[in-house]
This record gives sequence, structure tokens and C-alpha cells, in this order.
Amino acid sequence: SLAVKILLFYVIFYGCLAGIFIGTIQVMLLTVSEFEPKYQDRVAPPGLTQIPQVQKTEISFTASEPRSYEPYVRNLDNFLRDYSAEQQTENIVFQDCGDTPTEYKERGPYNDAQGQKKVCKFKREWLENCSGIHDPTYGYKDGKPCILVKLNRIIGFKPQASIFAPVNESLPPEVMAKYNPNLIPVHCVAKREEDADKVGAVEYYGMGGYPGFGLQYYPYYGKLLQPRYLQPLVAVQFTNLTYDMEVRVECRAYGQNIVYSDKDRFQGRFDIKFDIKSS
Amino acid sequence: GLSSARAAEILARDGPNALTPPKATPEIVKFLRQMIGGFSILLWIGAGFSWISFGIQLAQGTDSAFDNLYLGVVLALVVILTGIFAYYQEAKSTNIMASFSKMIPQQALVLRDAEKKELPADQLVVGDIVEIKGGDRIPADIRLIFTQGCKVDNSSLTGESEPQSRSCDFTHENPLETRNIAFYSTTCVEGTATGIVINTGDRTIIGRIASLASGVGNEKTPIAIEIEHFVWLVAGVAVSIGVLFFIISVSMRYRILDSIIFLIGIIVANVPEGLLATVTVSLSLTAKRMAKKNCLVKNLEAVETLGSTSIICSDKTGTLTQNRMTVAHLWFDNQIYSADTSEDQTTQPFDQSSPSWTALSKIVTLCNRAEFRPGQENLPIMKRVVVGDASETALLKFSEVILGDVMSIRAQNKKVAEIPFNSTNKFQLSIHETADPHDKRFLLVMKGAPERILERCSTIMINGKEEPLDSEKAEAFQTAYMELGGMGERVLGFCHLYLPENEFPETFQFDTDSMNFPTSNLCFVGLLSMIDPPRSTVPDAVSKCRSAGIKVIMVTGDHPITAKAIAKSVGIISATSETVEDIAKRLNIPVEQVNRREATAAVVNGMELKDMSSEQLDSILREHAEIVFARTSPQQKLIIVEGCQRQGAVVAVTGDGVNDSPALKKADIGIAMGIAGSDAAKNAADMVLLDDNFASIVTGVEEGRLIFDNLKKTIAYTLTKNIAELCPFLIYIIASIPMPIGTITILFIDLGTDIIPSVALAYEKAESDIMNRRPRNKRKDRLVNHQLAVYSYLQIGIMQSVGAFVTYFTVYAEQGFLPSTLLGVRVHWESAASNDFEDSYGQQWTYYQRMYLQWTGYTAFFVSITIQQVADLIIRKTRRNSIFQQGLFRNKVIWVGIFSQIGIAAILTYGLGHVTALNFTPLRFQYWFVAVPFAILIWVYDEIRKLLIRRYPGSWWDKNMYY
Repeated sequence: SLAVKILLFYVIFYGCLAGIFIGTIQVMLLTVSEFEPKYQDRVAPPGLTQIPQVQKTEISFTASEPRSYEPYVRNLDNFLRDYSAEQQTENIVFQDCGDTPTEYKERGPYNDAQGQKKVCKFKREWLENCSGIHDPTYGYKDGKPCILVKLNRIIGFKPQASIFAPVNESLPPEVMAKYNPNLIPVHCVAKREEDADKVGAVEYYGMGGYPGFGLQYYPYYGKLLQPRYLQPLVAVQFTNLTYDMEVRVECRAYGQNIVYSDKDRFQGRFDIKFDIKSS
Repeated sequence: GLSSARAAEILARDGPNALTPPKATPEIVKFLRQMIGGFSILLWIGAGFSWISFGIQLAQGTDSAFDNLYLGVVLALVVILTGIFAYYQEAKSTNIMASFSKMIPQQALVLRDAEKKELPADQLVVGDIVEIKGGDRIPADIRLIFTQGCKVDNSSLTGESEPQSRSCDFTHENPLETRNIAFYSTTCVEGTATGIVINTGDRTIIGRIASLASGVGNEKTPIAIEIEHFVWLVAGVAVSIGVLFFIISVSMRYRILDSIIFLIGIIVANVPEGLLATVTVSLSLTAKRMAKKNCLVKNLEAVETLGSTSIICSDKTGTLTQNRMTVAHLWFDNQIYSADTSEDQTTQPFDQSSPSWTALSKIVTLCNRAEFRPGQENLPIMKRVVVGDASETALLKFSEVILGDVMSIRAQNKKVAEIPFNSTNKFQLSIHETADPHDKRFLLVMKGAPERILERCSTIMINGKEEPLDSEKAEAFQTAYMELGGMGERVLGFCHLYLPENEFPETFQFDTDSMNFPTSNLCFVGLLSMIDPPRSTVPDAVSKCRSAGIKVIMVTGDHPITAKAIAKSVGIISATSETVEDIAKRLNIPVEQVNRREATAAVVNGMELKDMSSEQLDSILREHAEIVFARTSPQQKLIIVEGCQRQGAVVAVTGDGVNDSPALKKADIGIAMGIAGSDAAKNAADMVLLDDNFASIVTGVEEGRLIFDNLKKTIAYTLTKNIAELCPFLIYIIASIPMPIGTITILFIDLGTDIIPSVALAYEKAESDIMNRRPRNKRKDRLVNHQLAVYSYLQIGIMQSVGAFVTYFTVYAEQGFLPSTLLGVRVHWESAASNDFEDSYGQQWTYYQRMYLQWTGYTAFFVSITIQQVADLIIRKTRRNSIFQQGLFRNKVIWVGIFSQIGIAAILTYGLGHVTALNFTPLRFQYWFVAVPFAILIWVYDEIRKLLIRRYPGSWWDKNMYY
């Protein structure tokens, strides 16, 4: 009976503690909105990431061996499934936001008073050679791999186009040339300057042929209000990479409030390694 | 004597005449010893495990591998630094001790090459003939071949406080008893002697005793045993939780290697990193406090031993007594008067108006050869150095106190003849002129053994008038003599005679050889009795020991009667208790018929002890509450200590002589006298009383008990947050949530915020009168009992964890990760390749953003534990009483602890917030308060616990919740 007494005590004791714990967590959750987080200081500025997602950010394959690049292709296929035209037919969800970059599309307050928010369509065809429509291997079979670049989703975040990169260095001339006030441009260069000639030609495919993200896709209203939100993509195809050596490439998105950090190598930029074997 | 050449030969054969010093432990060994054993072992094992873990993770390429390396390094550093600290503390007290030993090389007067030479005593060899005189230390064991009034003080060897006379006669087979041998290291008090060296160096009696000491093993201190027990407990908990979660993680399909990492992590997380340092600092704080009260502790752990002591075997001479003869009683005018025997007497309160006293005081003053050393006029009388034997010294000081300047009184009463004391006459006599210039008579004064003095008297002085000494008055004398003798006092008789002027004119030549003056038909004046009186603080100290449940046993080399008298006067034998012999005398029956159980007290003679079996000794120790061992030898002292230890007692032994060192070493705590103690005794002891005062032991007991209680509190405080640090890891394994708190952060709690508060608990005052409870039962009252562990681990610890987890979930939820999202994300969350990790709102996080959030979580968890540790600190101030009874503000150091705790946490959070290597990030101010309600809950819960304990003593609650 002594053991029972002790057992009973602990059942009651832990029962009360569990009650207190769940109670306080519930009270805490009441103070948190379901539509937007209380603080975003840890998640912004946004990260820039690529598809296919790879361990150690290295893309390594042999063009003549389909099995060596099959995981990348599958990864791209899976990701682009939501971007297919047949997925964007419901007009109650999707909205045609045009073929050229335009202003932000504000969609009212961050709550469901007006129901769910509409979402801009993103046409897979815009990605051209990297859309997977004509070439289901996204250029991998020719040794001209595609990657997709996307800016991480952050609720309410409005990237600002700028002719200046944030750290007071001016934009690369190629980006300047195609400057558009409603576009967040993406640009990839060799990570090390001495590798510049090894990267070769780089093709960019984005909305309406613009190499960047149109501002009409922002701001993002969150999972609850825009469950089928399509983040704008830029496909980058490396058409003349040097084979049989590691080539490091860094891609950046340029915007006034897209900053880079030494500690976080994926904030506003990322780097990726290519190692294409000739046989 | 020997020729120099022959002496050199023997010296080469036997070695120098000096005791081999006890083998000193090399400093490096002492130093290394500080770093092993008990706690340190636990930390070393923790460090080893951390490095294994580091190796595995490094091979796997885990990012956080280096955390384990640092953890191991920190654990090792803690052991090493604490070791250095403890070593330094003990070295310091050893140095204080070293300053006591006087390094004066001893000289001896030797007959060599038929010449008398002064030689260093260590050059003596067997066969040398040496001369000694009063005041010399005996340079070796010598057989006497010529003596003149030689007396030796054997107290350092046998403990007998009375000087022993020495002659050339072989009187006993036992070398210790025979009169013709004087022993190395004893002193010659008076007279002169010549003798042949028979033993030198380690072969002397004292050398043999000293080597006996080195053969006695050192006992483990009670606190060391307790800490060992605690280490086993922690290790047991650590291994069982570790293995349990190893099984869980394997069955959850974690990889085996990961599970092993978890296992090691759990075991290491259980190691209380800060406790070793805290315990060491707390002990040394107490040691410091005790040193201030004249208890110098040589071994830090011995600080607590006195607290658990249940039997004190105390020496008599010097410890319980003042170690000087003092006049205790007077008998004149048919009446016994008591004299003041305290240490610093300035007056004597007894009635001094009787003319008999005037006569007696004159004899005491004049018939005395002792003198003060010159140049001590400013010293109190009791402190002045006297040339002369113990009794004469006592009489001189006694008369100086009452009459004032004795030397000028003696000058006024010029001495014209004198016969010094010798053992055949047993009296001392001198003849003086009187101070009154008109009185031309001579005054003959005599003192000596009372019965011999009485034989020479025909009259007795009553109220200043000489009356014939009839049988009735002789009877009164006999009664008084017996009474004083029965009190263990040394009694002297005094008589005088005014020589008739006509027979002994002013010009009369006294001849002490032919005794041309009367030595009988004198006038008996009175008796004085002397004793080595107890120190005035001792009776109180003994009664305090008694109320503290400590049995005080007197072990002395002295006579049973003296020993018993002192024991009675200090309360070792209380006023109402009787020995078997007392009962027999009272009931007038033979000793054998007395029911031994009725006798609470016992006086055991060394002779009886010799024939006793250990069972008999045990039954004496068990059956009698008050015991005095008299006439014991050093070996017997050891047997007594062992007997007490067989009873399960923690035994403290006090002693000063070389003869005590084996017992001092055998005891759980040996206490040596700082002033009177020999180096051998101090070496063997764990503790030194700087003022030689038994009362200081009581202070030691009090401090020892307090530190035991407070260490309990410190450990309870420290163990609690261990659970709050371990729980996150367990939940991380089971629920696969992001890691709530990191290894480095935990180190900052254990070795940062929590250190000062846990030391502050060492300053806590006792909750109740600790001197009124019995000493702890070393088998039952553990430092860390299961109630303490269960209450800290399973109740307060869990409450703390809950509070910290609420903060953790709040931080994550407000940043976008609601609790439900966090479950099961571990692998994905920790993948560096995943830079678009989705939160509850659809936002995407890079790896570094998540890590930064994770560190914010660490910081929040850390802050919550710190806040709740403040509550933990406050509740640990008491174990039974309400905080309000104890007072929140009495212990100021606790508040220093609380402020330091919060201060350090604030500095770590905001000051180091940008040093990401330490995994601290700035934290929003409000998160400091999330855990406050839980801190209050802990405090209220503990108050309720204490209330129920006080309200329902002996209840189920009391048994399970009181630690």
C-alpha cells in the first residue's frame, strides 16, 4: 500500500503539472495569431535557395549516364508539379498577374475576414529550356544543367528593387542592363574570379523572359490565406560548364532589403558546386 | 666514558640519536591526491566519455562535435583547478603548523675520552655516559648510575602529570615502571643524575611508540564516505537513465552510433560539474571560520568529521586541565576552605581574617624555594615563569596573589637555615628571622607529607591559639586529610615553631647536619591541597557535548583517584552518577554483588584493561555512559579508540604527547594541541587546537554539524537543475524537437550562475539548535538520502523543466514555430542542406536562421532555469522551517548569490549576445518573466511541503518529503 500511495501521489503530482503545462501553453497560443507570426526578426531577410536540393550543395553527374542525374531530375519534377498549367486552372484561387513585372499586389489585412487570398499564376513555360516540358531532363543529358532559384517565403515581406546592391557596390553590368524597377534580378557568377572563364555562358529564364522575380508576387500572405501560393522562380542554365573539375558558382538576388551575411551563406545568395564528368 | 673513535664506530652502526621523521608524502603526491577520489573520479569519467563522444562525432562529421571536446576539457579543468585550490588551502594550514615546531638543536653533556663535553644530542651512542640536571630534556633512554633528588616529568610518554622520582634502584621488571631508567624526550624537573645511554633514536621507547603511529592506517573521513555514497547514487541514476534511453532510442530506430552518443550525453549530463568546486569552497570557508576560533584543520574533509563525532576520547592533562598545579583547598581552624582555581585569579575569596591564616600564609611564603624569574613584573601573576617544582610554584603564586610581593616578605624574614625536601624526611624546613624588629625570636617553618608533619606536632593552632593536639583534633585532621586526598588532590601539611629567645639567641649558629634545633613538638597550623585544576571553560563545554549527544571519555595516564576527581569536577562524571565501587561503598556490599547496570559511571584502570577481552571492553563502553580510563598506556589508548569504533561511533581523540600519536591517527579525527603538543602528535592529527582548549572542540562540533546540514542544502540545490538540464535532452531524443539547451549553455549554469548561490548556502544559519540533537547516525543519516534525491529530481527538478519548456515553446511559437510543428522535425531541422525549412505559417528558414533561433531557445531555457534557481535557492535555505521563520534577509550572502546569478545571466545574454560561439543570443525582455509563475509555484509548493512536515511529524508525508 506504501508503493500505491507513492504511485498515487506522483500520478496526482504529474497530473497537476501536466495540466499546468498544457494550460499555460494554451494561454500562450491564444496570444499568437494564426495568420502571421509575432516576430520575424530571425527569419528575415530571406534566404535564397535552389532546386534541385542537394547534400553539400554539389551537383555532380555524367551526362551520358541518366542514372547519375536522375535524382536531380526527379527533384525538379516534383517541385515543378505545382507550377503546371493544369494545376493553375481554378480562377477562384489563381489570378493572372501578367507577363511583365509590376507593382506589389496588396490583398488587404492579414486575416480571413475576406476569406482566402488569391494567388498569382506562374507559367511553367516561362522557364523555357528548364521547364522540363520539352526536355524532361532539364538539360542534364546534354551536360547543360538547369537549377531553379527561389527566394524564401516570408509573410508580408516586400523585396525592394534597387540599382544598388545593398553593400554600396553597384550591380553587375549584365544586371544593370536589364534593370526593371519591379524586378528582383538574379545573377550567377563564378565564386572565385579565376574560375570566371570555366563557368561559361549562363542563361536565365524567368517570368516573361525577365531574369528575376516580379514584385506582383509579393507580399506573401501565409499558409492559411494563400495555401497554394507559387513563389516566383528563375531558372538558371549553365550551357558551357567546364567538365571534369569542380566549378563553384554563386547566385545572388539583388534588392535593397535583401542583405548578405558572412555567417549565413544562404541569405540572399547561395553557392553551388558543379562537377560534370565527361564519361 | 667511551673514546671518540669507539663512539664514532657505534654511531656509524646505529645511526644518529634522532627519531626518523614520519615519511613525508611528496608534495606532488599530495597534489595529485586532491584530484582523485570521490567527486573527481566522477568528473574524470565524464571528461573521458565526452572525449569518446567527440571522437565518434568527429568521425561522423557532426557539426557540434567540438562541444563535446570543450565539455571534456572544462570537466578536466574543473577537477584540476579545484585540486589546486584544495591543495593550496591545506598547504596553508600545514605552513601554520610548521611554524610551531621549534628547531632548537638539543645539547647533551657527555663523558668522552675521559673529558666532559657538550655534544649535540643526536651524536650520542649506546654506552655514552651523560649527565643531566633539572630543566634538561633527557637526550636518550638512559639507565641511571648516580642520582641526587632527581625527578622526571614523564607526561609526554605515559601521561602521568606528577613528576616521578628517579634513583639507581631497579624496582620493577617493566622498564616503564622501574625507577632507574629515564626516557628520551622526557624532562628532568629537578635534581641531577648521571646515566649510561642504553637506547638511541628509533630504538628508544618513544621511538617505538612513534613508529607504532606510522603503522596505523588512516581512516576515511565520514564526509568522504558520504560523498562516495553520493557519487554512487548519481552514477546509478545516470547509468539507469542512460541505458533506458539507449533502449528507447534504439527501438525508435535511431542509428546505434547515435544512440551511443545519446547514452554518453545522458551520463555526462548527470555529472554535477559545479559541485566539486562548491563543496571544496564550502569546506574551506568553514575551515577558515574554525581557524578563527582556534581549530586549525589540516585536512579539509575533517571539517565535517567533528560534526558527526559521537565519542570524544579526551586527554586529561593540558586539555581538560590547565596543566599546572594550583592550590585548591585549605584546611585550618578545623574547617575546609576552597580556593579559586580559575586561570586568571587575582584575588582569593575565602575568609582571611583568622590569625591562623596569617600564620599559615607565613609558612607557605617562607618555606618555599621557588622564585619568579626576574623581569616579569608586568605580567599577570598566573602567567609568570617560576623556577621550582610544580607544588612550590603553586604555593608561590598562591601567596603572591593573596599577600602581594612575596620576595620582599622573604627579604624581611631573612632565612638563616634550610633543609630541602628529600624523600627520606618527606619534609622541608627553614628557619627565619622575624619581620618584627622587636621580636628577636627565630621562626622555624616546615611543610611536608601531612602525616609526617602531624607526627612532629604536639599542638594545633585554632583561631590563632595553640591548643593541645588531642585525639579528637587528630581525628578532625584525619577526616580533612582523607577528604582532600579523596578529591585527588596532593595534600601538604604546614607547621611552625617560634624558637625561644633564651635558647636560641640572635647569634645562634644553626647546623642543618646535626640538627641543633627542635624538629618535634611543633605547632600544626594547617593543610593545603593542590591539584591541576580543570580549565574554567571545560565544564560548560562538556555539558554542551552531553546535550549534543556526544559521549566524553577521559583517557589518562594519571591515577584513578585524580582522574575521577577531575572527571567529576568537569562533569565527565556527573554529580549524581555513581561507579560500581561507589554503589558498593554506599550499600556496604562487596563490589561483585553490585548490579553493574545501575552504575552509569565507570573508572577503568589500565591494569584491569590489560586483562580484558575486547568483548568486555565493548560491554563497558556500551553499558556506562560516563567512563574514565586511568593509568593507560599508549597501546591501550589505541585499543580504547578501536573499541569505540567497533560500537559504530565516530571517534575524536585529543592528545599532545608522542604517546598519543597512534591513537590520534587511528581516530576518525585526531585533535592535537597546538601549544603543548609534540610534533609527532600534530603530524598524526587531522586538526590542531591552537589554544589547547577543550572548549574549542565544541565550536568545531557546531561548525561541523552546520556544514553537514548546509552541504545537504547545497547538493539539493545543485541536483535540482540537473533534471532541468537533462529533460530537454531526453525530450529531444523522444520527440525529436529542436535541441532546447546546449552543452555549453549548461556549463554556464553549472559553473557560472549557480556557483556563488550554492556557496552562499554554506553561510546559512542553523534551523534549530544543532547542539541539542544527537550526532548523526553514520549508517542511517546520509548526506544525500533518497528523499533528497527524489524530491530534487522528481519534484522540483521536473517543475523547473516544465517552466523552462514553457519559455522554450513560447519563444519558438512567437517566431513562427508552433509546438505541434516542432514535433519530429529533428533530422530535417538539423540538416545543413535544408535552407527552405517551412514553419507553421509557411515561411521558409535557412539553416543558419534556424540555428540562430535554436540558440535563442538555449538562451531562453537558460534564463528560465536561472530564474527558477532563484526560487530553488530560497526554498533550500531551510529543510523544515518556513522561510519566514528563518528570515529572508538574515543570510546576506544568499542575496549576493541571487544578484550575481541574475547579473551573470544578463551579461551572458546581452553582453555576449553576439559571440555566437558561446551560443547565446540577445533575448527579448519579456521572456525573462515566463518562468516567474513557475518559480513562485516552486516556492509555494515547498512552503506547503514544510508546513505539512511540521504539522504532521512522523506521518507518511514527513517520512517521504523530509530530506
